[in-house]
Amino acid sequence: MAGVRLENITKRWGDVVGVDNQSLDIRDKEFLVLLGPSGCGKTTTMRMVAGLEEPTSGEIWIGDRMVNDDLPKDRDVAMVFQNYGLYPHMTVRENISYPLKVRGVPKSEWDDRIALAARRVQLGELLDRKPRQLSGGQRQRVALARAIVREHKVFLMDEPLSNLDAKLRVSTRAELKHLQHELATTTIYVTHDQIEAMTLADRVAVMNHGVIQQLAPPEEIYDSPANLFVAGFIGSPAMNLIVGSTNNGAFEAEGIRVPNVGGDTRTNLVLGVRPEDLTVVEAGQGDFDAPVYATELTGESVLVTITAGDQHIAARGSRHMRKAIGETVGIKAETSHAHLFDRATERRIERT
Amino acid sequence: MAVSNKQKQKVYAGIRDALVLLVAAVMMIPIFWIAMAAFKTHVDVYQLKLFFTPTFKNFETVFQSPYDLHEKLFNSTIVAFVTVLIAIPLATMAAYSFSRFRLKGERIMFVMILATQFVPAVVIVLPFFLMFRDLGILDTRLGLIIVNLSIVMPFAVWMIKGFIDGIPMDTEEAALVDGSTRWQVIRNIVLPMAAPGIITAAIFCFIIAWNDFLFALILTTNKAVTLPVGLALFKAEEGDLWNLLAAAGIIIMLPMFVLALIIQKHFVQGMTMGAVR
Repeated sequence: MAGVRLENITKRWGDVVGVDNQSLDIRDKEFLVLLGPSGCGKTTTMRMVAGLEEPTSGEIWIGDRMVNDDLPKDRDVAMVFQNYGLYPHMTVRENISYPLKVRGVPKSEWDDRIALAARRVQLGELLDRKPRQLSGGQRQRVALARAIVREHKVFLMDEPLSNLDAKLRVSTRAELKHLQHELATTTIYVTHDQIEAMTLADRVAVMNHGVIQQLAPPEEIYDSPANLFVAGFIGSPAMNLIVGSTNNGAFEAEGIRVPNVGGDTRTNLVLGVRPEDLTVVEAGQGDFDAPVYATELTGESVLVTITAGDQHIAARGSRHMRKAIGETVGIKAETSHAHLFDRATERRIERT
Repeated sequence: MAVSNKQKQKVYAGIRDALVLLVAAVMMIPIFWIAMAAFKTHVDVYQLKLFFTPTFKNFETVFQSPYDLHEKLFNSTIVAFVTVLIAIPLATMAAYSFSRFRLKGERIMFVMILATQFVPAVVIVLPFFLMFRDLGILDTRLGLIIVNLSIVMPFAVWMIKGFIDGIPMDTEEAALVDGSTRWQVIRNIVLPMAAPGIITAAIFCFIIAWNDFLFALILTTNKAVTLPVGLALFKAEEGDLWNLLAAAGIIIMLPMFVLALIIQKHFVQGMTMGAVR
């Protein structure tokens, strides 16, 4: 068991910067999710921990050991790959026992360990099949079993669910969470799926352009995004980011007025407010009125998009509400989780 | 009445089958002729008799003095086998490097390796002759092996690289993280997964070395003569000894038929195995 520490890690390929001078302290037994769009450096960061990629500069510590110069096999990590990386010429049993074989674990222990790992991921009777005879979900389990068949300090997962269909992804997600709890191993998990990040993580590191934008527990990332990138990336439907200015504590833009957002009188601002904090009411009863641009029934509510000036804003209506396009509605804003961002620096402005 | 689609298809299928038969016939008839001639007596060879009493006399004669075909058979076997035994491990290592490591001047090196394949053999046989004469390895099996290596190596590297390229990087990296050294990855993962390609390349190399005529003709005279060159022995004063030629031809072709059968199996395996995603 050990934590992982990255100190001023940079990865460059020629002029291309993959990870830009980042530090990250992952606690022992923590489930840390690296979240970001493709090409943001999250996979590169993980691969540097695994030893599959060498940092251009900086130090990587696993426990109290600096592992920069250690080969992957000497770092005592286990990894699950996006495409599983199974050995197609070996049976499931041989796949799972491969780490035991190359690490010289006595053969007498193999059966127990394989059985335990297979039970943990519910592999059951597939041990004598070849990977190509398995479904995607079953292959995923084999990859997991192979990773947990021996004890290791750090568990790395690179988008392990992205090749599964939507339904299987949800059930496997819960299983992963349970497995990590059972194993109590420091885990780094890479994904571009915010739902996975929100549901699995103890802490989420949101990355973009090789830089960690925010490192915080999921609730904090969701409720208090550190900057415009995180605000726009987290949440579905996405947070409304409305350009405007404040006037004595009220936010104003063309066709919009939201009181009680804090801040003095300032221009060049962006108001970030989630659709669920904007409620559609009858015209005249809200903070401001605007015409309906489109409505979408999502089941538990109606997502209403309104037009204000040249900006589109998403808001929630009760699920029985029906509004025609072009009809004027009122919008009532709940501003306790609304945030102001500086449009120039893109950073969140602390409420005063 | 218009011709129905079904009838049309039948006609097309008929034409297609006829064409296939024609091409097959062009290729098979000489082999069929040789297969018959090998079992005929010298007198019968020139008659296009389909029914005759087969004789194994020809196969006995070619292995006796003055023909001594077993010596040529031995030379051919040694040359082809040793060529393959040296070429395949070297080519596999080269192919792995080309496939997996970013080397300086990699593209140029690879193109140059391929370019050697474009040089016609006739062009370089004379330099080889002069070089081997100075080195004193004319008319030796060693000399032939060296020449054959220069022919089959580029081919083998190119072919095996294709198969290694097909192995997903994930699989190798998984093995590295699982605790393997680079050598263990190659031995436990890459070689078994590329095996169909490596075996196919080995067989192709064997066939190239086995069938080589030009280099063997120029670079050997007596001691290291191989089977294809040995065929010339059967030109006698009384004309070409077609029955003996045919018997020797059968002996040359037989291993090729066996290898073709094996290669077919591995080719299919190589195509269908693919990567597990």
